[in-house]
This record gives sequence, structure tokens and C-alpha cells, in this order.
Amino acid sequence: MKRIGSLLSLALVIALFISGCTTPAPTGGGEAASAPAETIKVGGAFNLTGELSSLDVPAANGAKLALSEINAAGGIDGKQVELIIRDGKTDPATVANITTQLIDSDKVVAMIGFTDSDSALASGPLCQEAGIPFITAGATSPKLPSQVGDMMFLAPFGDNVQAAVGAEFAYDRFGPKAYLLWDKGTEYTTLLADYFKTRFAELGGEIVLEDTYQSGDKDFSAQIAKVKALGEQPDFYYISAVPDDIGTTVKQFREAGITGPIVGGDGYDTPLLVEVAGDAANNVFFTTHALMDPDNGSDAVKKFIADYNAEYGHDPENAFAALGYDTMKLIVDAIQRAGSTDGAAIAKAIEETQGFPGVAGELNYSASEHVPRKGVTMIEVKDGKFTLAAEMVPEKVPAP
Amino acid sequence: MDDSLSRSASITQPAPWQRYAGVATPLLLLLLVTFYLQWAGSAYIQRVWIILGLDIILVTSLNLFNGFTGVFSLGHVGFMAIGAYVSAILTLPLEKKATNLPDLPAWLAHTQLGFLPAILIGGLAATLVALVIGRPVLRLSGHYVAVATLAFLVIVRVILINATPYTRGSRTFSGTPAYTTVWWVYAWAVVTVYVAWRVLRSPYGRAMLAQREDRAAARSIGVRVLRSRMWAFGISAFLTGVAGALWGHYILSFSPNAFYFAETFSIITMLVVGGMGSISGSVIGTILVVLLSEVLRNLEGGFSLGVVQIPSLYGMSQILMAILFIIILIFRREGLMGGHEIDLTRLYVPDFWQSLFRRKEV
Repeated sequence: MKRIGSLLSLALVIALFISGCTTPAPTGGGEAASAPAETIKVGGAFNLTGELSSLDVPAANGAKLALSEINAAGGIDGKQVELIIRDGKTDPATVANITTQLIDSDKVVAMIGFTDSDSALASGPLCQEAGIPFITAGATSPKLPSQVGDMMFLAPFGDNVQAAVGAEFAYDRFGPKAYLLWDKGTEYTTLLADYFKTRFAELGGEIVLEDTYQSGDKDFSAQIAKVKALGEQPDFYYISAVPDDIGTTVKQFREAGITGPIVGGDGYDTPLLVEVAGDAANNVFFTTHALMDPDNGSDAVKKFIADYNAEYGHDPENAFAALGYDTMKLIVDAIQRAGSTDGAAIAKAIEETQGFPGVAGELNYSASEHVPRKGVTMIEVKDGKFTLAAEMVPEKVPAP
Repeated sequence: MDDSLSRSASITQPAPWQRYAGVATPLLLLLLVTFYLQWAGSAYIQRVWIILGLDIILVTSLNLFNGFTGVFSLGHVGFMAIGAYVSAILTLPLEKKATNLPDLPAWLAHTQLGFLPAILIGGLAATLVALVIGRPVLRLSGHYVAVATLAFLVIVRVILINATPYTRGSRTFSGTPAYTTVWWVYAWAVVTVYVAWRVLRSPYGRAMLAQREDRAAARSIGVRVLRSRMWAFGISAFLTGVAGALWGHYILSFSPNAFYFAETFSIITMLVVGGMGSISGSVIGTILVVLLSEVLRNLEGGFSLGVVQIPSLYGMSQILMAILFIIILIFRREGLMGGHEIDLTRLYVPDFWQSLFRRKEV
């Protein structure tokens, strides 16, 4: 009899599953308008849980904020816009599943999402095949458009751009000798370190010591020991890391007595940096998309921070919130300019974007450039706060 | 001749065809559902069904080792990685090899194989590695072998990350041709279940079960412990490698991170829920876990129960699956099937149907 109980529960689950697949898709937060009239559906694929959640959750929040503003202003030609958000769980199989779900079951006309290149690569080919334009809110690999196809667009700058800025800024401000530490475990950190090396060598800099570690490593004593063994300390330390690791890394380096400036990429743009590293996070510099400071930011940033605060009750956690906001506004603007929900028409409209005013910088695209030309913000951590160190456009960018 | 004797004379052993029919029925049902979903289901349901098939292969081949030999291997996903990477490198089109893997040695850079040869070579590569590491590792027992196999998993990952000319290191390996279809997956699933079934009922299988129950007693009757474990390890590694190859050509872009702890514990959850040592248990456990977590994931965005509106809570599906796992471990540690198999042979024996309608003898 017990076996029948197992079989019955199994049958129940299968029945639930088959019926559950026609469940109406969730809309973000419940405040999106799911009007009975025709709506324009945009898919929001984000990793709301898992390792990238500290970047994706703010991005999704930014997108939802943009959605409510768009719908309050009348939507697109009177039709309300619906943002259907699904969680990818930072797992490639789930990412592919939700992409198929959004395209096939929810019938979205365009897709936005993800702040990491691996998820964008898992999702992109499916959008390309279905002819759905996909703008990634935060994935920075400049190779994505060539790897995925002409439906792929980036909202942020490419890693080659931010690595070039990192190299130029550090070379000018700190000196020609660098220590390079990079995470072997992800595409983003590997590429960033590679571009940094290329640009730094071009400038005439010298990497006195290069070392690696694995994503998720908690102990950096081996790498630190090698640094301390150097006769003369380098001028700065370029560490290419993901948000989950950077707090630990910075803390251990400082605790070991390494006081020189630490420089890195937008993986540092997370509340985890100051939360985990505390005072050790001072004298840390990183390139990112915008400075979310209500006092020193641009007017657009100040307005965005105020609106975000009103909606969610706290300041935007990092620049990815602004990127999510910009991506949503961009895709809706492109749909409006295209005048139709046809994927190819929307993609063409994105390509024709010039001077689009984003919170995280101005967006310009072209038929051959699906990665926008944007300025880079260099942030310095002072007294546990993010402050503006520079805003730069690189002189020369390594090829993707 | 009184009634009791004639009754006992009518209870006969089921004929072979009835036994095979009994075993084949669940598989036939599975295939029927597959047909139906291909014809009527959305692309999303078809995707989930393919993932289900892949997990069935993975869990059944893991059960072949963990369940039958009693050795708890935590490193099987390493074989999955080997199968995936070897087959993907072999099937990658030549132009993509030139751009993505420019440092391949010449003999590899000019090879492009079809799907089936690549799968088989991937599986054989996994078997080869299994036989090499099996000799030292499988002499251990209990916790020690679990940790040793876990070390194997870590070693595989580090090798994949460092073999950059072959694997692109930690960078995403993309461009794999999309060969895997639902029929490939379910054909291999049927093969896996069949192999596990036959191994279990063979002298090798008996030897494995014997040394699982009591190593010393098994050796005293002449069972070669290491040899039976190596057989199970090799076969299981081959099937896991095949599953890895199928998975690689389905997901189309992957990196060494995909073959690490997350996947390991996902498979082990399905194995334990279904019941170790039971083939039907591994299939049922997989179906239950995969479908349940998909249902829960779809509910994460918030749903309504009549008048009550449940808000969105992302991550809820994983929390609930973990709670389910804990409950099963507390109340039914041996898993849902508990080492027994579903035997539908009775359905094909006329006596079974007659006995349903026969009035009880006083």
C-alpha cells in the first residue's frame, strides 16, 4: 500500500506540473499593470537568487521603477507595458528554461536582464534564434554581440573599456609597477585581467607579479605571502574579482599589512565590499557605470536616487540599479520608435539610438556597435563611502 | 483433491514475457508522455522534459554505483564534466575551433566528429579515468571514499580550468552544435535503466550487493570486493559521461562551474529522495524532484489562492525542496521506494485480475 501512496503523490505532482504550466506569469512586484486590454510584454530575466543576486536584484528593482514611470506616463502609444520577471537562480540550465518560458509561454516581444556574461551567454542564443532583441543590463563582455548575434545588445560599456580606464588611471596616478591578481573561475574576471594587461603593457607599465585564485576561495594567504616576498612593493594592486569575493580579498590583503591602492572593475560595485571589508575598503578604486551619490552625482543620478528611495525605502545599492532602469527605458523607447513589436524592427531602432540620456551615462549605438560608447566612472572608497575619483573615456581600447 | 491444493496449484511463476512486460510498462508510459508533449506541449515543457530525461540518466547511473555497491561517491559529476568537454571538443565545428580554441594541437584542430561517436568517446574517456582512479580510491570505505571522490571532483575542475588550450579554462565554452533532442535523451535513458536492471540481476550485481551488505562475509565466500566495485564504477562512469555529453550539446554553453557542487547535490538529492539501491526509485525520485521544483519555481512570482494573495518570494522553491529533503531523511531515510522496485508483472498475470473479483473463501 505504501508504494501506491508514492505513486499517487507522483501522479499528483505530474498533474500539478502540467496544469501549472498554464499559470499566468508573475509580473514584477505586483505593481505592474496587467490590464485586460492588450499590453506590450517585455521579459525580465534576472538572477534574483544565487551568486549574482547582489547585482541582479538592484537591476530588477531599477527596471521595475522604470516600468511604473513608463506606465504612469501612458505606456507606449496608450498601451500599458508589462514586465514579466523570472528568476534564473544563477544556474545556466534554469536561465535557459526561463528564457524559453518568457519567449514561448509568456510571448514577450523583447528581453532585458542579467548582469553577468555567463548568464547572458546561456540566454542570448535562445533570443537570437527566436528573433527577440535582448539588452543585457549589466553583462560587460564585449565579445557577446559577436558570440550571440545581431539581437544582442549591451547597456553597459565593455570590459575592454573599463580595463583600459583602470590601466590609464592607475598608471597616471600611482605608477608603472603593478601587481595583478585575477579570478580564474569566471569569464568576466579572466577577460578583465586580460584587457588590463594589454593596455597596461601598451602604456609602458610593468606587471611585477601575476597571480590567480578560484572563485569562492576564502583564504588568500598563499597569494599574500608571494606579494610580501617582493623586494619592492608595486605602485598598486589590480585585483579582478566578482562581488562575492572582493570583500574577503581586500580585508585579508589589508590585514596582512598591504596598504597600497587596490584597483579593480565593476565587480567591486556592491554593498558587500564595505560590509565585509569594513575599514579595509579604504584606498580601494574601481571602475563602474555611475556613482550613486545623492550629493555628488549628476542631476539624473540625484533624481533616480530620490525616486528609488521613495519606491523601495533605501538608496540604490549600486550602479546596476541605474543600469536596470536605463535598460528598461531604452527598450521601451526603441519599441516606441520602431512603431511595432517586430523583433527585427526593435533591434534596428536600438541600433539607431543616439544620445539616449541614461542615468548611468549617455547611450549611443550603431549597426556595427552593439556595445555602447560610454564614459567610465572611477570610484574611490573613502571612510567607508563611495566617492568620485574621476570620470574618464579611455584613450585607447584593446580589441575585444 | 481438496480446494486448497487446487488453489495453490494455480499460483504459477510468471512467464518471462510477463516479467519483461512488467518492467517495460513504466518505460512505455514515459515514452507515451514524451510523444504527447512533443506533439502538444509548449517549448518550455519540452525543455523541462529533456532536463528530466538527462537527470534520469545521471541519477540512475549514480544509483548503479552508490546504491548497488554501497560506496557513496560524491565525485560523479566529474565524469559528467569529462564526457561533456571531450564530446564538445570533438563535435565543435572547425571554424569555431579556429576562433574559440586556437591553441588546440593540430590533430584535434582538424577533427570534427558526429554526435554518436563523440558521445561514445566522451563516455569511454570517463570510463578510462574511472578505472585509473578506481584502483586506489575504491579500496577505501565509508566516509573516506566519499571524501576521496569529492577530491576527484575538485581535481577534475582544476584540470579543466587550467587546460586552457583545450577547454578555454574558466571561460564559457560555447558554440557546441545543438544535437541533443528529446529522443536522444530518452533513448539513452532507456539504455541506462536497462543496463542497470541487467547488471543488478547478473552475477556481478549479486557480488556488488553482497559486498554492500557485509564486506567480510562477502570476501569469505569468494566475492572480489575491489573488482565488483571497479565494474560498477566503470559502467556508471560511462553512463554519466554519456549524460554529460548529451547535457553539453543541450545547454550549448557551459564552463567548469557547471560541474561542481551545485550539480552534485542536485543529483544526490534526487537519488536519496527516490531511494538508493532501487532503479525505479531513482526514476521516481528524479521525476518528483524535477517537476516539483519547476512547479514551485513557477509559483515563486506570487499566486492567488482564491481570496488570499501570496506575494512573490524568490528562492522559496529551493527552501521548500530543502525542507522536503530533510523531512524525507527524518521520516523515511531509505527514500520513497526504500530499495524495492516497482514490479508491474502482476498486471500481466490473469490471476491477479481474477483475484480482484473473486469472493473471499470462507
